[in-house]
Amino acid sequence: MVLPCLGLLLVFAYWPAVRSVVLSLYGNDLLGDPSRFVGLDQYADVFTDPDLRRALLTTAAIAGLSVLLSVGGALAAVLPLRRAARRPRAVASVLLSLPFAYSAAASAAVFAGLFAPAVGTLNEVLQHIGITGPEWLRSPVWAVFAVSLATAWYEFGFAFLVLLAAVTQLDQQVIEAAALDGASGLRLARSVIIPMLRPSLVFLLVTQTISGLQVFTQVQVLTRGGPAGATSTLVHELYQRAFGEALPHVGSASALAMVLLLLVLLVTAIQFGVLRRWA
Amino acid sequence: MTRRRAASVLRWLWLGGVIVAVTFPVYVTVVTAVLPPTDVAAGRLVPVPDRLTLANVRAALGSAPLAQQYLVSVAVTALQSAAQLTTAALAAYALVFPRWRGRGAVFALVLATLAFPGESLVIPNFELVSGLGLRDTVLGIVIPYLAAGYAVFLLRQAFLALPRETWEAARMDGCGDLRALLYVVLPMARPQLVTAAMWCALSAWNGYFWPLLITDSPQRRTIQVGLAQLVVDQVTAPAVIYAGTLLVLLPTLLLVLFGQRFLVRGLASRVTT
Repeated sequence: MVLPCLGLLLVFAYWPAVRSVVLSLYGNDLLGDPSRFVGLDQYADVFTDPDLRRALLTTAAIAGLSVLLSVGGALAAVLPLRRAARRPRAVASVLLSLPFAYSAAASAAVFAGLFAPAVGTLNEVLQHIGITGPEWLRSPVWAVFAVSLATAWYEFGFAFLVLLAAVTQLDQQVIEAAALDGASGLRLARSVIIPMLRPSLVFLLVTQTISGLQVFTQVQVLTRGGPAGATSTLVHELYQRAFGEALPHVGSASALAMVLLLLVLLVTAIQFGVLRRWA
Repeated sequence: MTRRRAASVLRWLWLGGVIVAVTFPVYVTVVTAVLPPTDVAAGRLVPVPDRLTLANVRAALGSAPLAQQYLVSVAVTALQSAAQLTTAALAAYALVFPRWRGRGAVFALVLATLAFPGESLVIPNFELVSGLGLRDTVLGIVIPYLAAGYAVFLLRQAFLALPRETWEAARMDGCGDLRALLYVVLPMARPQLVTAAMWCALSAWNGYFWPLLITDSPQRRTIQVGLAQLVVDQVTAPAVIYAGTLLVLLPTLLLVLFGQRFLVRGLASRVTT
């Protein structure tokens, strides 16, 4: 009975992983077929090719910034909610979980409308209160920030739901005891509640970092990697090389796929290491 | 007392700021569906009762074959989540109830796939699915995702919490494995089955990267890919983009509003393991 599931996973998860390793060792011939054995050259390219090195750095910047904004934002929303009365708290929780209803494409589409050059809704609204907004998608630095912001907003709903569930399950007696000892407000949050939320926070940091490493939809919808390659990420480069060009570079794209896989496995391994140390 | 009141006011001011920042994009998506395009273009986002119109929604439906793409997405979601639940229920049953050598290793193999980023597998899967002649078909979109490690994980956990005696009694009475799964195990695990179904459906509906790669013709793409194309076509008319987004969003919005209880259960079990 386990065979259908196992068989499908072997064909569509394990076999592609093995096949990617093989493909990544071969370079393109003139017809675009991967037939030239090049060993690890294409892995070396990831760190020496200026475009790829830049994509790696951009991915790290977008992943880092969006994890910080989404997890930090969720924490900043959940902590004050803990002590609110039940009714307003329920309303606020529903409102704050709404971003979770958006797919990556839907959230990216909304931000494409908000950030659109010349007609973007955000800058129009800002103008009403006397602020001239930046050229969100046309300056390289703002574009990286805009993509990170869109990604963070998309991730916020998930982070908020996880932390909300964690906060409602906290041991109230510990918190009341700390409150009786005179801890209150920010101090209570910092030295009692946040440490108690640690398992959920680690889980979020890991899952959000992993999805940050895979960021693609926001880039493709908002900037297509531009301006001048400033927002091209690891997966966007993979997409361009394997599917976006007349002569696909399957080998080089496969090397990128393997680098991504290794990075994700590394982050997962670190998570298990940290959890084991606590246990 | 006044200090406490001041703290409470401060807390709600802070929360209010967070809520405004987080829900602004949601407000824009929803409200522009009934606003005249010129109001949206000018950044006037408060609806005036006597000027309501569905012009933006009509423009979105006219700009791309969204209705057809909706059907593709519905088919993909139904097929993919039904298949994932079936394969996962069978696998979880085999991993929990009968005792056999190697089931620990098999579970490890299934669980390990959770750590594979889908993007790193698309190139060989593209070769494979194209080779099968399934490019640009619904079957091609779902075929790599007929089994999902996460669904197995959720159902295995649900089955482990069930009383083993009930299953043993059913087996004693001569009940076959398939019958035991259908009539004894699954009815007892109904809430977790709903949770698993919701997560499967959500990820099927929201998929983007793979459907983008494996489909070519506009009317055979999923609604998510169609929406991304709408953004390209309507880059000068944000109001139309929002209206299209709202159409894509509706089913998942209902799920989050009314099924949150079930979704959160799926999250909790992931955090603690």
